This record gives sequence, C-alpha cells and structure tokens, in this order.
Amino acid sequence: MSHAAVADTKQPSAWAGGRSPYNVSYGKMMIWAFLLSDALTFGALLISYGTRRFFSAVWPDANQVFKSFPFAGETALPLLFVSLMTFILIMSSVTMVLAVHAGHYNDRKSVTKWLLWTIIGGIAFLGCQAWEWTHLHGECNGLWGTFTDVTTPVSAFSGFYDTHKEAVHAVLANHPLVAMESTHQFFNFFFTITGFHGAHVTSGVIFNILILINTVNGTYQRRGHYEMVEKVGLYWHFVDLVWVFVFTCFYLL
Amino acid sequence: MSSHNEHREPSAQELYEGDQSKLYSGLMQHHGDVNSSESKSQVKKIWKVFWILLAITLVEVMMGMFLSHSIPKGVVNFFFLALTVLKAGDIVAIFMHLGDEIKSFILTILIPLVLFVWFIIAFLADGGFWLHMNTSNPVRQATEQVKH
Repeated sequence: MSHAAVADTKQPSAWAGGRSPYNVSYGKMMIWAFLLSDALTFGALLISYGTRRFFSAVWPDANQVFKSFPFAGETALPLLFVSLMTFILIMSSVTMVLAVHAGHYNDRKSVTKWLLWTIIGGIAFLGCQAWEWTHLHGECNGLWGTFTDVTTPVSAFSGFYDTHKEAVHAVLANHPLVAMESTHQFFNFFFTITGFHGAHVTSGVIFNILILINTVNGTYQRRGHYEMVEKVGLYWHFVDLVWVFVFTCFYLL
Repeated sequence: MSSHNEHREPSAQELYEGDQSKLYSGLMQHHGDVNSSESKSQVKKIWKVFWILLAITLVEVMMGMFLSHSIPKGVVNFFFLALTVLKAGDIVAIFMHLGDEIKSFILTILIPLVLFVWFIIAFLADGGFWLHMNTSNPVRQATEQVKH
C-alpha cells in the first residue's frame, strides 16, 4: 500500500464539516430538541405536584381515588382501570414503532396498517380518560377548584383517604381543613397534568391522522422516505414516556 | 443516481424540506426487504420490549395493590421509581431508536436530561428543607401533632 493511499483512508473529524456530525437529519434533531423542552415542561408540572405533596400532612390514597371501573358499580377495583389505560398506550407505542419500522423498508401497506392501529389506540386511551374525568367530576362535583368551601363535611372527601392509617385518620378527625386543602391540591394537579398529557395525546392522534393521509396518498413513497412517520413516532413515544411518569407519580407513589 | 439528481431542477418538495437525503442516520439508509432476517429480528426485538414493559407494569400494579400497605413506603417507592426509570430507558433506547444513534448524539440528549433529574432531586430536597425550617407552616404543625 502506497503512502498516499494510507493518507486517503484517514477519516477527517466528524466536526470538520461536509456531513452531519450527529449523523441525523435536521428535522429529527429538532424534534428531539422539542421533546427535551417538552420534558422540562412536564417536569416542572410534576415538580410542583411533588413539592405540594411534600408539604402536605396527608395526601389522597391512589387505591381509594382510582378504584372504579366502567359498569362495575361500587365494586372496588383499585388501579385496574389505569392499568388498562397504560396497556392501551404501551400497545399503541408498539404499533407506532412497527409503523416506523415498515417506513424504513418503504412498505406503504404496513405503514398504513400500523398507523391505523396506533390511531385506534390513541382514541381508545382518550376515551378511557374521558370516562375517568367524568367519573371524578361526579365524585368531586367539579374538575378544577373543588373542595374550597370550609363548610364542606369531612365525609365529602374522607373516601379518598386511607383511613386505616392512624395518622391519616387523626388528621381527618382533628384537622379536616388540612385534609380538604390536600384534596383540593390533589385534584387540581391531577386534572392539570393528565389534561396536559391528554392534550398531547390528542395532538398526537391528529398528527398520526395527517401522516396516515399522506401515506395513503403516496406522498412519502414519492419522497423516497418515511422520515415524517419517524418524527411523529418520536413524538408519540414521548407521550407514552410521559404517561409512564404520570402513572408512577399519581397512581403508584 | 446522485449524479442524475445534480442535473435536475429541485422539486417543490425539496425546496420545502431541504435536501436531507444525505443526512439520514444509519437507520434510514437501508431500504432492503421487509421480510429479510434483519427486519424480522428487529420486529422480534420490538415485541420483546413490549412484553418487558407489560411485565414491569403488571409488577408495579401488583405492588401498588397488595404490598403498598404492608412493606415500608420508602422501599415500595424505591422500587416504583427504579422500575419507572427502567421502562423509560427501554422506550427511549428501543422504541425511539436512541440506542441506534451515534454516541455524540446520544450524549447530547442524555446529558441535559440527567442534569434535569438532578434538578428535580435538588428541588424536592430544598422543598423538604423549607418545610423543616418554616415553623409557622400550619401543614407542618399538623404533621408534628400527628407524629407526637
């Protein structure tokens, strides 16, 4: 091998220009930047929720608040409904990644099929959320700003607490207003954060419908790549990712 | 193919999107057969991650239903947070394909996130300390009365 040939094979630095040092297209990089900033927004909401909770002597118990299931009446089925919602969202994430995968192989038929399933999953999740909000609206007699009237009887919110715990029982008995303030904060944060997440799911469904129309019309086939599916996919997975944290913060911890 | 492209007028689509075709990540470069063994092994990996996520969620729900009142809350919460991070890692690495990007890009995404997690921990610790210092806080007074 000649000296010149050795010099030719030497790779210039990735940062020397002429190619993307990240080996990623502009659009994809920007969607990652957007997702990072969106993560900060959700993080801020969850931090304020956590801080408020840290300040509170008592806090509603998830097993008590979220124990209902459609058509199950008064039967206590703690966490079952939210598990179903989580399952639906994870499932729609899988169908989305399968659509992205099919896009890598320019397989229009499969992209269409998996995008349709993803949209169905997203709508099913939103339906579940609508049911849960309606149910809690009935329990609280409102969405935001409930439990502010000092004459509210303890019985109106004691059902949200694990009264088997002595400390919780004592606060409800001796400081009902402290418990009512916690209930007020809990539901304000719950509707704000799940509402903000639900708005993300809604816009994700709309984006999915738009790229489904483009896929069916053959726009991406003509373009020669399905990168738009990949970008919307990143957004959709992010929405699933946020749900993982919302699920932990509201329903588990 | 590329020499052919150089000589034609850019389409409206290219003017709108820019010519990004040179910049696709390794993932976008192959347009092979969807029935190839490589493609099938990727699909298999996706389903494997789905089962892992499902199993973790089921474990979490079982813990929430049956164990959250019998073992110390701190231990349960530690497991919940650990499992949540595990789930998040799987989604980001496999579903969002971050694991398939090159190292400098992975670090560009992960370093700000790690700093943010640190910020969250610092924020909550500070909030806890504020509660500890503020003796006039009615919530704290209620907590103290419960403890004593």
